[in-house]
Amino acid sequence: MSASYAHPEYLVDTQWVADHLNDPKVRIVESDEDILLYDQGHIPGAVMIDWQQDLNDRIRRDYLSKEDFERLLSSKGIANDTTVVFYGDKNNWWACYAFWVFQLFGHTNARIMNGGRKKWIDEGRPLSKETPSYPPTNYKAQERADYKIRAFRDQVMAHVLARGPLVDVRSPKEFTGELIHMEAYPQEGALRGGHIPGAKNIPWARAVNDDGTFKSVEELKQIYEVENGLSPDQNIIAYCRIGERSSHTWFVLTYLLGYPNVRNYDGSWTEWGNLVGAPIEK
Amino acid sequence: MPTRQESIDFILDHFENPRRRGRLENADLVLEGGNPGCGDVVTLYLKLDAETRIVDIGFEGEGCTISQAAASLLTEHVLGRTLREVAEMSPDPLVDELGRDVVSTRLKCATLALNTLKNAEKQYRNGQARAEVQAT
Repeated sequence: MSASYAHPEYLVDTQWVADHLNDPKVRIVESDEDILLYDQGHIPGAVMIDWQQDLNDRIRRDYLSKEDFERLLSSKGIANDTTVVFYGDKNNWWACYAFWVFQLFGHTNARIMNGGRKKWIDEGRPLSKETPSYPPTNYKAQERADYKIRAFRDQVMAHVLARGPLVDVRSPKEFTGELIHMEAYPQEGALRGGHIPGAKNIPWARAVNDDGTFKSVEELKQIYEVENGLSPDQNIIAYCRIGERSSHTWFVLTYLLGYPNVRNYDGSWTEWGNLVGAPIEK
Repeated sequence: MPTRQESIDFILDHFENPRRRGRLENADLVLEGGNPGCGDVVTLYLKLDAETRIVDIGFEGEGCTISQAAASLLTEHVLGRTLREVAEMSPDPLVDELGRDVVSTRLKCATLALNTLKNAEKQYRNGQARAEVQAT
């Protein structure tokens, strides 16, 4: 019999979502790379949260403020006790990213729909083009807690010097510096290729099955622990290019394997690969 | 002024039924562009007359709905224009036709193909200069 994930309550399957489409205590949120997918059809009743427009600060490279987060969630009809279920394209990259941003503000009552948008569609489940409207709430967020699950460049540098475990979740060619973005993507965004010294390359995609669902806990332990020597007692930093793929791995390590000290370095390679004087391995 | 839904339908029509999608054999110019923010790529193929007027254009690409629809729409805007005229084109008519309300948060995607095409004149002149050097 298969062992269960460390925190299975943070993951729901498509049937669970289908069973809760009309549950007023549940809000389904789609977050995509392709902003028009939502308009082409979404899970009935789902609202959209856009990582650029909604979650990022419009000027600085940073996330929205506590006040803007409160306004955003209130406008989507999300209350403090609402269960928020995220799903999206690209194997839930942006869903995990949005989930992670929600955790910065302490909204722990959140889930990821296993398999994301693709699985819902592949199963022939209904899609809607109607944008729902919900009564606004009066959401109250805690101050953004960047120190728990988010790493900044100076902390990453200290982590490197202390030989702390780093997980580079990008593709092998990005890791070696042959590419500075994924294959077939524009090779821009960083002036140098390579990886942060000491990082292990564990591409995010190793954590998922062909249908986009997460692998079993045994398979995940084989990948992260047996093959790469990670363990729950470690203080781990994950990174990618801009922080969305590493949000996916952060979710796997934190909730599926139960590691309590994992941070996402959202500055990632677009910051490190442009930093003057920063050490790089190839 | 189209509604948001009409703009979305217009974009989806270009995305699902792209105009002039495909490589042009024996193109006079091939231009590549990309948007690292969300991974859009586009390659434009141009055939030119003696006055650098675009007499045929094709495109290939991958990426989000807006970037690929905008590339399709662009091909309808630039046939018959010279490379100089293209270099001076404002993105506004293109953005307005796509629906400014819909694409305003992804202007880089909406203008990727146009900005790629704007390099055509420079690339063409560089090619000519190289040819002249080789001929001497």
